[in-house]
Amino acid sequence: MSARQILKAALLLGLLAPVATPALAQGDVRSRVAAYKHRVQLLEDQDAIENLQATFGYYFDKGLWNQAAGLFSARGTFEYGQRGVYIGPARIQQAMLLFGQQGLGKGRLNNHMMLQPIVVVAPNGQTATGRWQGMIMLSEPGQNGKWGVGLYENEYVKEGGVWKLSKLHFYLTAMTDYDLGFAKYAIQMEGPSALFPPDRPPTEVYRAFPNAYLPAFSYDHPVTGKSLKALPMDGDDIVGRPSRGMEEKREESSAAKGLRQ
Amino acid sequence: MKRKHIVAALLAASMVAGGSPVAAQTADQKLAELDQRITRLEDMNAIERLQRTYGYFVDKSQWVQLSELFTDDATLEIGGKGLFLGKKRVLEYMQKAFGPDGTKRNSLANHMQFQPIPDISADGKTGWIRARAFVMSGGGWGLPLYENQYRKENGVWKISRLTGPFTMYTSWDGWGKWAMNNTWPDKFDPPPDLPPSFVYLTYPAYYIIPYHYPNPVTGKPFPILKSDIGAHAGVPGSPVQQQWSTTARLADGTQPIGEPPKE
Repeated sequence: MSARQILKAALLLGLLAPVATPALAQGDVRSRVAAYKHRVQLLEDQDAIENLQATFGYYFDKGLWNQAAGLFSARGTFEYGQRGVYIGPARIQQAMLLFGQQGLGKGRLNNHMMLQPIVVVAPNGQTATGRWQGMIMLSEPGQNGKWGVGLYENEYVKEGGVWKLSKLHFYLTAMTDYDLGFAKYAIQMEGPSALFPPDRPPTEVYRAFPNAYLPAFSYDHPVTGKSLKALPMDGDDIVGRPSRGMEEKREESSAAKGLRQ
Repeated sequence: MKRKHIVAALLAASMVAGGSPVAAQTADQKLAELDQRITRLEDMNAIERLQRTYGYFVDKSQWVQLSELFTDDATLEIGGKGLFLGKKRVLEYMQKAFGPDGTKRNSLANHMQFQPIPDISADGKTGWIRARAFVMSGGGWGLPLYENQYRKENGVWKISRLTGPFTMYTSWDGWGKWAMNNTWPDKFDPPPDLPPSFVYLTYPAYYIIPYHYPNPVTGKPFPILKSDIGAHAGVPGSPVQQQWSTTARLADGTQPIGEPPKE
C-alpha cells in the first residue's frame, strides 16, 4: 500500500523534525495532517455511500419511487434483472411503476434488504463502486409470497459535495415461491416492459436459478490484490454463454451425499 | 461524535505546528495518536470487508479465492464438523465437501453476512468479529454465528480463525416442522484434523459462543455460564429440557446428533 508507505515516511520525517529548521517541521506537520484528512475523508465518503444505498432500500421497499429516483444523478442508470436500463431520474421513476403504484398498493410487500456492502471510494474521492447482497421478500394480492436474492454492482458519484447513485444494477440471481422453496420451484425474471420500454436493453443477458450467474466483482481480492472479474462459472447453452474455468468431471459434493443418508 | 473528535484533533495539531520545538514534539505525539485512531477505523473496516468477501465467495463456490483470505496457519470450524488446520485444509474441506470451484447450475448457497461487531487489539495486529449470516440455499435455511479472529500480516488483514457455530439448520418445510440439530465429523468427507472444540446442538436446542468483547455499557466481560450454554428445548425443569440438556453436553461423540427433533 503506497499511501501507507508515504505515511510511514512522513512519520519518520516527523521524528527528524525537531533537529530540522522550523519551516521544515511546519511543512511536515502540514503534509501529515493533509494525509490524515484524506484518510478520514475516504472513511466518511464510504459511510455516506453506505447510508445512500441503505436509504434507497428503505424508499424502494415502500414504493416511494419519487424519493428513490431522486437519489440518482442526472444521467444515472437503473437496471433490475433483465428489465433493461433506464436513464435519468424521470425514466427511473417511470420504471419503478412497473413494481406497483407510488406508495405501495394494499397487500403488497416489496422488501429489498441491502446487506454486506463493499464500497470502494476512488483515490480522488469523486467516484465509488459498491457490491451489495440483496435479499428480497415480495407479496401482492392474489399471489403467494416470494423469496428472492441477488447482487448489486453499483456506482456512485459525488456532485457538489453530495454522493448520488450514478448506476444501480441489481442482478437478481434466484427467486422462488414462499412455500415451495428452491428445491421445488424457481421463478424466472421479467423481461423489458412493453408499457415503459427501457432506454437500453439489458447490459448482460443471463438466466436466474437454477442457472448459474456470477456478476463480476467491482473490487479486487482483499489479500492477493488480484482481479475477481473472471472467476469460474457454468455456462448457459440457451443464453449462448460458454463455461468458464470449470472442471469437466464433476461428482456430487460429499456434504450433499452425506446429509441425504 | 468520532468525526468531531478527529476534526478537533486536526485543528489542535495544525495550531501547534508553528510553535517551539517542545510544542512541535507535542504536535508530533498528537499526530501519532491521530494516526493510530484513523488506522483503527481503517482496520475495523478492512476486517469487515474480509468477512463480507468470505460470504460472497461461499455464495458462488469460489474456494481458491476463499482460501486466499486465510493465513497459512488458520483454523476453520463450522457447525459440528470439527477443526480444519491451515489454509490448505480449508481449501480441501471446501472443495471436497461442497464440490469443485465455480458457480454452478442447480446450486444455491447464499451466506448473507451482516451485524458485525469488529474489534482491533491495542497493538493493531489482531482483530475479532462477532457476526452472523443468513443462509438461503437450495436445501433450506441456515443461521450461522461467527466469532472469528483476524491477523495483520505485512499490512494485509487475513482470517486467522473462523469459528462458525450454527444456530439452526432447516429445510424448506421450515423450522416449525423440521430442523437438523447439527453437522458432525463423520457425516461427510473430508474428516477434520481435530474433533469439534465444543459439542453442542442447534435449534430447538441452543448454544452461546462466548463473546470476544465485553458488555459495551457496563464495560464488563462476562462468562457464558454452563447453565446459559444451552439445550433449552422446553421450559426449564421440564422433562424435554432435561433430556436436551443432557444430550447437548455429551462430549464423546456418541450422541444422536443429526436426527431431526421429533415432537
